[in-house]
Amino acid sequence: MKLQHNLGGIENLGPVWTETRPFVEEWEKRIFGIHVAMMALSQTLVDALPRYDLSKVPTTFREDWTWGHLRMGAEAMNPFDYFKYRYFEKWLGGISGFFVAKSYVNGAELEARTADYLDGKAPQRPSKSLPEVDAQVLRYLREGDSPKRGALAPAFAVADKVLVKDVKPVAHTRLPGYLRGKTGEVVHVYDGAYCYFFPTGPDGIGAPMPVYSVRFDPKEIWGDTAEAGASLYADLFEAYLLPEGEVR
Amino acid sequence: MNDRFNYSSSREAESAAKVQALEDLLIEKGVIGAETIDQVLGFFETQMGPFNGAKLVARAWLDPAFKQRLLQDTTAAIAELPFPPGMAGAEGEHMKIVENTPDVHNLIVCTLCSCYPWPTLGLPPYWYKDPTFRARAVREPRKVLEEFGLSIDPAVEIRIWDSSAQIRWFVLPERPAGTDALSEDELAALITPEAMMGVAKVKARAATSP
Repeated sequence: MKLQHNLGGIENLGPVWTETRPFVEEWEKRIFGIHVAMMALSQTLVDALPRYDLSKVPTTFREDWTWGHLRMGAEAMNPFDYFKYRYFEKWLGGISGFFVAKSYVNGAELEARTADYLDGKAPQRPSKSLPEVDAQVLRYLREGDSPKRGALAPAFAVADKVLVKDVKPVAHTRLPGYLRGKTGEVVHVYDGAYCYFFPTGPDGIGAPMPVYSVRFDPKEIWGDTAEAGASLYADLFEAYLLPEGEVR
Repeated sequence: MNDRFNYSSSREAESAAKVQALEDLLIEKGVIGAETIDQVLGFFETQMGPFNGAKLVARAWLDPAFKQRLLQDTTAAIAELPFPPGMAGAEGEHMKIVENTPDVHNLIVCTLCSCYPWPTLGLPPYWYKDPTFRARAVREPRKVLEEFGLSIDPAVEIRIWDSSAQIRWFVLPERPAGTDALSEDELAALITPEAMMGVAKVKARAATSP
């Protein structure tokens, strides 16, 4: 069981942070931009619905990098570190670690360069432009990577009662932990079927499948401590659902 | 004692130096170009940001037929308006808006990460990404909203939407009283990302500012 899969409902965390800025330090913008560029150059886009032809894009990047990869890295963190580091600090750790692990950047070289910049050594910003790379990044931002595929017959219909499975915990999931074993009601069946960036193994998503909006009574989840006058909705992949009453 | 929660005193300077070193090395090694990151940031500063969502909401307030289409098929209705290209692009492929009414207040959360509708709202604010908000919003939404300075009448139902699959959610807030004389642009200027995610209401601007 991973804390990151079970964040919803944790108590004693103190007040929320009401900061409205997307970035609180200038440097955070750069790691955000690097992540977007990686997604826009990811080999996984070869199978995307927009017909991205990455073979013509002059980047040395030849990896799979999606939201799923970034999230899986965050979910692999020690839970104390997950709370210790600010959002983009986690991104910087995960993404720089990825480039070192994949040998695009040598770890010692990255450390030495970082130390140089910290010492105030004037950075020599490389000036090599790659207009075709920039064009692919812009095209990705504008055309995206829709997970929607042709319709499959849904197993459930609106008003059906469904039981959320307690699937085997793996490296990555899209099933919020607080819903496991709970019963809800289907309120909407989304048009089409939805894939995920990669198969999550025994967790069960990846191939196209129907997705449902499921309503839960907070009392079913939190018991007597639930606040009155609320409804909780979650979008759930079909692989996470069973008909109510079925033995898990 | 565990020293896990000790931070380096030069925490931000070290991150700033590291990300600059990383970006420079990625340019040198041909992963990205010298302008690649600036282009990404510029895209969100000028083309995809909360100013798009604000225009959408103002239009929905003024045009009931458009509002119905927006609630019915959010992505298709957005395509009717003259936005920059890319409104169904990254993180906006499938979007859904839900309407606040006198009886219902909607709150969007992503307990597993920070899913956010980029084309209409731009990049998520820190409060939305914070683990404490994500943990608590699904359990004690009224208390959480109080901490944002928003008190919801006990008679109003709060609907919490955990965006855990492939739909990106946002909120159509209520139009505040006292705004009948405002133009569409003036209305749009009142609308904040917080109101479009459900942690604030739209306020009619005070006649005089302090």
